[in-house]
Amino acid sequence: MRKPSDLAGPWFATRGWKPFAFQKRVWAAVARGESGLLHASTGAGKTYALWLAALQHLHAQDTPRAKHPAPLQVLWITPMRALAADTARALQAPLDALQIHWSLGVRSGDTSSAERARQSRRMPSALITTPESLTLLLTRDAAQSEFASLRLVVVDEWHELLGNKRGVQLQLALARLRRWHPGLIVWGISATLGNLEHARDVLLPEGGCLVQGRQDKRIEVDTLLPEAIERFPWAGHMGLKMLAQVRDEVARSSSCLVFTNTRAQAELWYQALLEARPDWAGIIALHHASLARETRNWVEQSLKQGQLKAVVCTSSLDLGVDFLPVERVLQIGSAKGMARLMQRAGRSGHAPGRPSRVTLVPTHSLELVEAAAAREAVAARQIEARRSPALCMDVLVQHLVSMALGVGFRPAQLLEEVRSTWAYRHLRDEQWQWALEFVHNGGASLGAYPDYHRVIEAPDGVWRVANARLARRHRMGIGTIVSDASIQLKFWSKGGGGRNLGSVEEAFVARLRPGDAFLFAGRTLELVRIDNMTAYVRRSTARKPAVPRWNGGRMPLSSELARAVVEQLDSAAHGRYHGPAMQAVKPLLELQRRWSVIPTHDMLLAETWTSRQGCHLFLYPFAGRTTHLGLASLLAWRYSRSQPASFSIAVNDYGLELLCPGEVPWAAMLPDLLSPDELLEDVLASLNAGEMAMRRFREIAQISGLVFGGYPGSHKSTRQIQASSGLFFEVFRQHDAGNLLLGQARDEVLNAELEIDRLAQVLSRLGGLRLHLQPLARPGPLAFPLLVEGMRETLSTEKLADRIARMVADLEKAASRER
Amino acid sequence: MSHCLNIDVQGEQLWLLGDKALYWPARRVMLVADVHIGKAAAFRAQHLPVPRGTTQSTLQRLDRLLTSYPCEELIVLGDFLHARTGRAAATLERVRQWREQHARLKITLIRGNHDLHAGDPPEGLRIDVLDGPLLLGPFALQHEPEPHATHLVLAGHVHPVYVLRGRARQRLRLPCFVIGERLGLLPAFGDFTGGWAVQPQPGERVYLTADAQVWPVKP
Repeated sequence: MRKPSDLAGPWFATRGWKPFAFQKRVWAAVARGESGLLHASTGAGKTYALWLAALQHLHAQDTPRAKHPAPLQVLWITPMRALAADTARALQAPLDALQIHWSLGVRSGDTSSAERARQSRRMPSALITTPESLTLLLTRDAAQSEFASLRLVVVDEWHELLGNKRGVQLQLALARLRRWHPGLIVWGISATLGNLEHARDVLLPEGGCLVQGRQDKRIEVDTLLPEAIERFPWAGHMGLKMLAQVRDEVARSSSCLVFTNTRAQAELWYQALLEARPDWAGIIALHHASLARETRNWVEQSLKQGQLKAVVCTSSLDLGVDFLPVERVLQIGSAKGMARLMQRAGRSGHAPGRPSRVTLVPTHSLELVEAAAAREAVAARQIEARRSPALCMDVLVQHLVSMALGVGFRPAQLLEEVRSTWAYRHLRDEQWQWALEFVHNGGASLGAYPDYHRVIEAPDGVWRVANARLARRHRMGIGTIVSDASIQLKFWSKGGGGRNLGSVEEAFVARLRPGDAFLFAGRTLELVRIDNMTAYVRRSTARKPAVPRWNGGRMPLSSELARAVVEQLDSAAHGRYHGPAMQAVKPLLELQRRWSVIPTHDMLLAETWTSRQGCHLFLYPFAGRTTHLGLASLLAWRYSRSQPASFSIAVNDYGLELLCPGEVPWAAMLPDLLSPDELLEDVLASLNAGEMAMRRFREIAQISGLVFGGYPGSHKSTRQIQASSGLFFEVFRQHDAGNLLLGQARDEVLNAELEIDRLAQVLSRLGGLRLHLQPLARPGPLAFPLLVEGMRETLSTEKLADRIARMVADLEKAASRER
Repeated sequence: MSHCLNIDVQGEQLWLLGDKALYWPARRVMLVADVHIGKAAAFRAQHLPVPRGTTQSTLQRLDRLLTSYPCEELIVLGDFLHARTGRAAATLERVRQWREQHARLKITLIRGNHDLHAGDPPEGLRIDVLDGPLLLGPFALQHEPEPHATHLVLAGHVHPVYVLRGRARQRLRLPCFVIGERLGLLPAFGDFTGGWAVQPQPGERVYLTADAQVWPVKP
């Protein structure tokens, strides 16, 4: 038998590499049977640290020259199925070179049924899978024996899962694996985070070591300066004013990634670049998560082989195995956070020793300030923290039904397992009982309905899913934790569908009529018909296509970056403009100074203005959009306690706008409204008057199986049980107000959307600032983007009838003006 | 703004009620559309946990209407029952009890697409069931808003809602009546029903309903 270190050394040597100290530390820790978390910037050999550890430690123990490859040894969990194929290629290389008799398999939503069947007969030695597919594998009758020989679990890109519910789902799956294998070795691989101890504790509740990888990567940040500064920055557009400059930068470099923040923006930019340089057809490409698998594969492969000059992409290319030839990265619009910016920067100059280069492309003038701030924050390495959600009742309900598939579960045993995870370590008995009741008979309000059962308790005390049809529906739903109801796009051809193009949200397609044109996958398409959850399209020559909007993707500016922005403004307020970006934005800030004032770090600016729409308040706490939303709801609610009122709320990362049809004496009231006292009570009360909890409920309804997306190809048979989550929300609120899913919607708004802790911190910070009230003669550069923001929240404490009467009267007035 | 609004359609007085029903005093007829009884039960039968109480509150609203206005006949413009799987024993029992309280009332159901799937109501409920259109005075009563050659159509099916916009970017989605020269649409009556935003065409009048009140809108 070879000694462990004999294996990796020669393989590294054949490639002309030398193992790094951190790689040796990981190998030693795995050899001792320890779990841990490995963190480093991208492109630093993290994958091989773990994979060779597995090969050395686990392979050394099998008997060589067996007839079959080794049974399942390693689970490699990746956050995106798009990464699975890439990971497989990376892991295969040392197997071939070292002639290790291991088989490698991929199991994800994209795996073919033939491959699934092969895996059912015999699991590969190492299986690459996603959290959703892992949960599904655990629901199989034979799961325990299929996983019997498992030794090591590697969670790749753990930072991507840590902060969301998919991470919680994974925590539950790992708890099941640990119950089967008490000594199971689990490793996480993570990018650098501001709170690595937390990242480790969530993944490894029983403890483990932290290994730091190489951090010597140099990151260069620069900014493309617009030729002319718009003094009224409107955040609504896509930044296409910078097209000519971006085109020139792309032309100048051999290979680059152009990151955008939304899929719609990626579609528009790709189209615009092609129009600017038709000769780039074929050498620039588009990549986002809604495109068909094959398209994405082709792009990734071509990028790796150095065949592409540029790829316009979204966060879909944030992760993944190294794209070596990428020379530089352009970021269109704000990256919103330091971790994300550095991750994206790290996509370029991937080989050890080469610097990463990222160029920021502001989409509106104020982003120049952000760019200057980001540059300094990168230099100071200020990186955000990510925290795991806890006690998600929707994920727990889904998990209970999952575990009731296959061999079923015993409540006492499953409770112990669930509580062993970080997310549910404080799960109370009554919450557990509620979840059991919910899957058993739908909770208290359904008790009298004998026709309702999802999971039933057999006489032997084991809980199982009631019937096969239900089991099938549940399996379909497991993957819906992140995705909204989506509809497939296919080319129309006589006698059946043509090539698959990808998917768009149902809500977008629902607004289109046959013949309407829209932009997708870099093409202008025309809707032909919708049938069986599939939209059939053909090419179109229309000039003004619509662009699909996908939900999500409105990230708030992180506190770290926001603080850096305020520092830049503070300098500007004192007449100091450092660096080219700040010089460029100087005319805008000087206009702000003339019409109002430039906010400083010891002042809270509140601007007021009256227009035909009503009475406006613009307030600038620089705390990120989610906190601003919470703050705006809080102020509106507190005001309307003295007098019923309706408000329209707009927020961006710098500030908020409250718009009321009536007169509001903000100057007199604002100091009291900003009090940090009774914060939680007031925010909870404000939720009932607003619409945020209902919007949040949409996702919860989907995960917990309330809203059913339908089976592909059998749209009709499910129509009787389709209702919008908004309708569900109203029915629950009227007829089952104690429902914990409603409670969760409220909690999630508090924690995720409003970030109550951050709100409390912000209020206490604002309390220490001098309030500067500034009436405006006309909206200034800071107010303007809020004024024109289209995405708005409403908060109303008026009686519905009063509200309607007022609005009908408005309408009358408008109509008589027209005449 | 009021609980009831009197309008003239083809020389007939019709009362639009804030409770999402239409009353025809000359004939002592109450018209409702899209009741969708048993919808929540249909969800429960498919293991989707919808709370109880929607059928109950729908029937209570019908009670209130039938006692507030002198009625000889209730005409349902389709979709009385939601689905076959919604014909749960407990739900049908509740409908039976409700029927007993209005024993002398004549009830007519014009079949809608959901009724075709759900099947006719049980015989014991004494509901006359027929396929539309039912011609009554100047009106053709039917479920789907297909035009009629000679009569003004009163229909349901669409679940019309109107998006009301006001100053300060206020916006509300409210169930509504849409009354035109050839077609009148009723809002969906049932509690557990969604809605479809309508764009009124020239010549159509919109009447909003909310809080048991009704408001005319000039689009």
